[in-house]
Amino acid sequence: MNQIPDTGTLHILNKAPGHPRFVACLAAMSNQDTLILIENAVLALPDTDTVLPRQTLALEPDLEARGLSGTAEPGQQISHQQLVQLTEQHPRIISW
Amino acid sequence: MSTTLSYTLVITGAPWASQAPQTALAFARAAIAGGHRLDRVFLYGEGVHLASSLCAPPSDEPHWPQQWSDFLSDNQIPAVACVASALRRGLVDEREQNRYQLPAHNLRNPFEIAGLGEWVDGTLKSDRVMYFHGSA
Amino acid sequence: MTTLIVIDQAPYGSWAGREALDMVFSLAAFDQPAALLFTGVGVNWLRTAQSAKGVGQKTVEKNLSAAPLFGVEKIFAEQEACERFMPDTSSRLAGIDLVASVKNLMTQYDHVVFAG
Repeated sequence: MNQIPDTGTLHILNKAPGHPRFVACLAAMSNQDTLILIENAVLALPDTDTVLPRQTLALEPDLEARGLSGTAEPGQQISHQQLVQLTEQHPRIISW
Repeated sequence: MSTTLSYTLVITGAPWASQAPQTALAFARAAIAGGHRLDRVFLYGEGVHLASSLCAPPSDEPHWPQQWSDFLSDNQIPAVACVASALRRGLVDEREQNRYQLPAHNLRNPFEIAGLGEWVDGTLKSDRVMYFHGSA
Repeated sequence: MTTLIVIDQAPYGSWAGREALDMVFSLAAFDQPAALLFTGVGVNWLRTAQSAKGVGQKTVEKNLSAAPLFGVEKIFAEQEACERFMPDTSSRLAGIDLVASVKNLMTQYDHVVFAG
């Protein structure tokens, strides 16, 4: 059993809001963690019922596909390239 | 600046039933472009359907198994379908066809069939193990 | 390297949970420290008196009770989900460690893995 790295955990979430694993993922997040919304999970951005963590990013192609680019704040959209960079920086990753 | 890392990608979502193979392929391309190494792609559970040579989507639609095959061959990345997952779901190579006396084999090149030990090996040797699940 | 395999899917409705079990047994077979965590509807795997013959499947109770023998270090279950689905403690399999905080448990493992 190890110490969590300073960078926190990278949580990669692909389930739509309301999915049990979507709920479980948000509940498992700590302050220093980062949430990345991909695939169906990007629907959390326009969802008025979801309160997202401070450090939330979303995959740009998934937002664009669903007509949601306008719902992301500046700097919140990431490319696949940036996703790879985030996985470089985070030794600890959970795919939900 | 960035260091070179090694990755194992595990795909558990099936093509057409999920976005997992597409997301994984985009990630894999970005990882290679970023100077990283892919140790292995491991198909598990429903993910094994990606290795079928018999998928024939309409010509104006994307062909995920074909795209994955091309990517794996071009970059010489080993790809493995879990044997237990594959046999249950009707995914067999010639050896398994003969062993179980099945009427055909349908494992797409360059995928191979092997056990979960390959996944365990990935968790031990790769710097990162990324999972691509279905979203249902 | 420690791994926590999480099962959050209901038993018998799909093969996902069994394939998660295969993963944890595989880690144990290679002498890698591994534990199981059942959450949400997944805790229903831990009910006593399962009898799956009628649905044409084998019950998983035996596989689970064999887990410690095969080297699976611990079997955890989310306390809240157990209280929701199995309030009567006699309907739960023995040898399960209840966890109040899934979040805290997950932080204690290097790898947290869902099977699908």
